Amino acid sequence: MSAAEEPLRESAVFNLTGAVTMVVDDSPFSMEVTIQALQGFGIRTKHTPRSTAQAMELLKLHPVDLLFIDCEMEGSDGHGLVRWLRRSGLEPNAFVPVIMTASHVRRSKVADVRDCGANFLVTKPFSPAVVLERIIWVARDNRAFLEAADYSGPDRRCAPATPRNAGERRADMIRQISHPAESAAAASTEEPSS
Amino acid sequence: MTAVMWKPRTSRLSTIIDQPGGLSVGVAMAQARANLDNLKAESQSIVAERIARLSALQAPPADQDPVLRLNEAYEIGSAIIDAAGPFDRDDLCKAAAGLCDLIDAALPGATFDWRIVTVHAQALQLILGLPEDAEETRTEILANLHQMVARKIPAADQPAD
Repeated sequence: MSAAEEPLRESAVFNLTGAVTMVVDDSPFSMEVTIQALQGFGIRTKHTPRSTAQAMELLKLHPVDLLFIDCEMEGSDGHGLVRWLRRSGLEPNAFVPVIMTASHVRRSKVADVRDCGANFLVTKPFSPAVVLERIIWVARDNRAFLEAADYSGPDRRCAPATPRNAGERRADMIRQISHPAESAAAASTEEPSS
Repeated sequence: MTAVMWKPRTSRLSTIIDQPGGLSVGVAMAQARANLDNLKAESQSIVAERIARLSALQAPPADQDPVLRLNEAYEIGSAIIDAAGPFDRDDLCKAAAGLCDLIDAALPGATFDWRIVTVHAQALQLILGLPEDAEETRTEILANLHQMVARKIPAADQPAD
């Protein structure tokens, strides 16, 4: 993934002052911690909904450039919000970079969080360095979006890949199987008769 | 048959980040740390209040489903990580995470040994009151808690530090 995976250089310059940011968290203190860390990075948080319902209303009305969502909120799950957003058809918000935060993820929720379509999950305890690294990572993240029956979000494969537009894989398999047989047949017809 | 749509996409964030101006990583980190330092005292009082709530939590009566009470303990543990996490209190976070792991691993319908919650609450209280240089005591407490987690959830047997 190129530069995004390299450790941050102290002297590297970035500009996120123009990014419209939303932080969704039901804990006022956690929300304040995230806002203050972001402010240190030059990012002013514009929207601060305390529930997924409030976040949905705001996301329908306002374009957002970066979204922070707490995984577990009282009465609603952050991953449900991400899943809704990715399927919402809202332009451009359905494709917004999403960073999820979690203090502890229940084993039963790990798959939900992994498959909801977020760009990244940051588990606590986290330092400002980790948060900044992830923000820059998602900003530089050039993965395509996938839409399938059970998943909508950034391609979960981090290695660069290109779509297979030319031909079906089945055709490749048939060719691979038939090739040795055809070669053998050709060889037997070319053999000089003795 | 499953259809997969592949949509190359560039976010607006990727354009914004390279605009002229902004600040260096070093300055950003220093500013963020300074901002968070202002919240440190509040974090400590929130953590203390949550540990007190955990200590006050009583075992559920035998004739009641323990799930609600366990969820409450889990949420307090998770809230301790939330409040202590950004302030270099890995010790408190590890202890609270162990409690969350144990509650999360509890089988539905099985009896949960409430002493686990009590011991974790006491340990958290102890850790919170330790002076900064009491590294040995801190390590010992965390190692004991870790042993408990490893005994109850063998799959989670990873180093305490």
